Amino acid sequence: MKSHKLLSLVAVIVIVSPVSVIAADVKVIANGSVKADMISASEVKSVFLEESNSLRDGTHVEPVLEKDGPVHEAFLHEYLAGTDDDLQSYYRALVFSGRGSMPKQLASDAEMVAYVARTKGAIGYVSAETTVEDVKTLTIVREGNGAQRRLITRVEPDYPDTLKRLNIGGTVRLQLTIGPRGNVETVEVLGGNPILGEAAVAAVRQWVYTASRSRTVAELSIPFDSH
Amino acid sequence: MWNSSRSNFPINRLGGRIHKRILCLVFALLCFQAAQFALMAQEFKLLDRTVQVHGFVSQGLVYTNDNNWLTMNTSQGSAAFTDFGLNMSSQVTDKFRIGAQGYDRNLGQLGQYHPSLDWAVADYRFESWFGVRGGKVKTTLGLYNDTQDEDFLRTFALLPQGVYPTDLRDATIAHLGADIYGKLSLGHRLGVLSYTVYTGHRSDSIYSGYPYYLSSFGGQIKSYGGLQYGGDLRWSTPLKGFLIGASRLNEHIAGKGLAINPFAPGTGLVPYSESSRADWTNQFYGEYVVGRFRIDSEYRRYWRNQELFSGTSESFADIRGWYVSGAYRICKRLQIGSYYSHYTISNIVAGALSAFYPPASDTTLPANHDYDKVVTGRVDLNKFWNVKVEVHFMDGYGSGPYPNGFYTQVNPSGFAPNTNALVLKTSLNF
Repeated sequence: MKSHKLLSLVAVIVIVSPVSVIAADVKVIANGSVKADMISASEVKSVFLEESNSLRDGTHVEPVLEKDGPVHEAFLHEYLAGTDDDLQSYYRALVFSGRGSMPKQLASDAEMVAYVARTKGAIGYVSAETTVEDVKTLTIVREGNGAQRRLITRVEPDYPDTLKRLNIGGTVRLQLTIGPRGNVETVEVLGGNPILGEAAVAAVRQWVYTASRSRTVAELSIPFDSH
Repeated sequence: MWNSSRSNFPINRLGGRIHKRILCLVFALLCFQAAQFALMAQEFKLLDRTVQVHGFVSQGLVYTNDNNWLTMNTSQGSAAFTDFGLNMSSQVTDKFRIGAQGYDRNLGQLGQYHPSLDWAVADYRFESWFGVRGGKVKTTLGLYNDTQDEDFLRTFALLPQGVYPTDLRDATIAHLGADIYGKLSLGHRLGVLSYTVYTGHRSDSIYSGYPYYLSSFGGQIKSYGGLQYGGDLRWSTPLKGFLIGASRLNEHIAGKGLAINPFAPGTGLVPYSESSRADWTNQFYGEYVVGRFRIDSEYRRYWRNQELFSGTSESFADIRGWYVSGAYRICKRLQIGSYYSHYTISNIVAGALSAFYPPASDTTLPANHDYDKVVTGRVDLNKFWNVKVEVHFMDGYGSGPYPNGFYTQVNPSGFAPNTNALVLKTSLNF
């Protein structure tokens, strides 16, 4: 392993769009046809308010609600910031002005799971404690709520000798999931030279952030400057 | 003379033409059957596509202490305040939806249970930020124009008449044409912009308020409508629950029919026409919803410059209305609300007819304004059925060259300066 000291390495850590994973009383579930495993809270809101009928990755989705009950109320409070009466009025305004339709509404978690499992594109919600089969549970992240995580231990990436000799540099973009205890749980390379990416990932996995009540998903860029 | 009391508007008597009553009855039965069907299921399958069915019916009772209001005989108490609608729609593909709604109403002398196609739309949403809809499309104008018929969506039995006159519903309710629409997310810190741009043709029923108003002068309007185009832009701000927006509507309207010649009234009916020279509406609005509390406010200015009587005269009407309303949900089944509505009209007639119409620009006169203070209570008996009790305290009657709820035909002795009204209304929707 090459020395951690690099002549002109400037590691600019930029936290872009810090997000927090929502840990609530409900979990959002989706049919297996939905490609994404993680979506934003704003996407959830957009889908359930019929502002959009697809996710950012282009998957068509169909919102499904429960008719009433504590799970329904918890979902409305967490994601739509409103009451059931407000939501029903909202849907009815769409229906009676010709601008939308009334989403499917089901009576229980069991009906919800069964419907989502068999309906392409269906996205719904159940109690966090409900056992779900044949559906996927989506991780929901909330963007920009000020959940900044402070980096307390940083390890500099090793600049691969071969690339450095060849003056090959560039910026590597990473998405990392920071656990509640501050450790980096997962790292995904979003862009940049793959070999530099491997070096960046190896270093970032050793970083430690401040603790928090929830997970944080963050994007950052690490430039590699060979000069 | 021009101010003849003879009205050529079809009078809404208990009789009426048989075929219209049959049509109305069929439509009402259809709605009733659909309601029964809907209690079991609000959708069915057609060609492997789900078709949703929804409908509503409302019935009101109005009593006024003095002037008769909204073409009803309200000083005796009137229940001629009924409307109902039925729609079907289907999401044909991921991006394509179709639907249509039939609507019928009777409001005093207006509507007279002539069913109409309320809207019929084919809607293709390419992306959340760009969609196209065409057909007969409800017009986006302010907060409530496109949903003004569905009072079950709101606390109040009647929207502020200074901005949403129910007797003149046909003027703005829908256009036969096309819209482009979409929502643009500006990011977490800047909110969401929603836009609509449209163009189409407006066509008023001859049983609507303006033809009825002209009938007070012996006019018989056979057609009234024309080109409408405009847009709406609204901003859901980063402050949760706060929305502001603006709408603009331009139109080129023409009306044709017959009328009594005011200069030779004994010669019978002569061809009559009027048309827009400049005809536009600006509307600005804001809404703030926090918890159980909602505040709305809107301002509408309608400028109407018309050629009258085949171009022999011209009128300039500047109509302005605004309101501020507040509503509070006390509990799941009970809401209360109040609003103040402020309406003024100033009008100048030029040309031959000016001899009969002196300028009317003093908006402090009761004839040129209507200030309405309203208090409402709403009880939801269940998810589908509500009852409202509403009181209006109106100062003025705004009965100028453009109507605002007060008509000479039902007030032959003239107008009292103030009107208090009690409105009871119930509506069912599914």
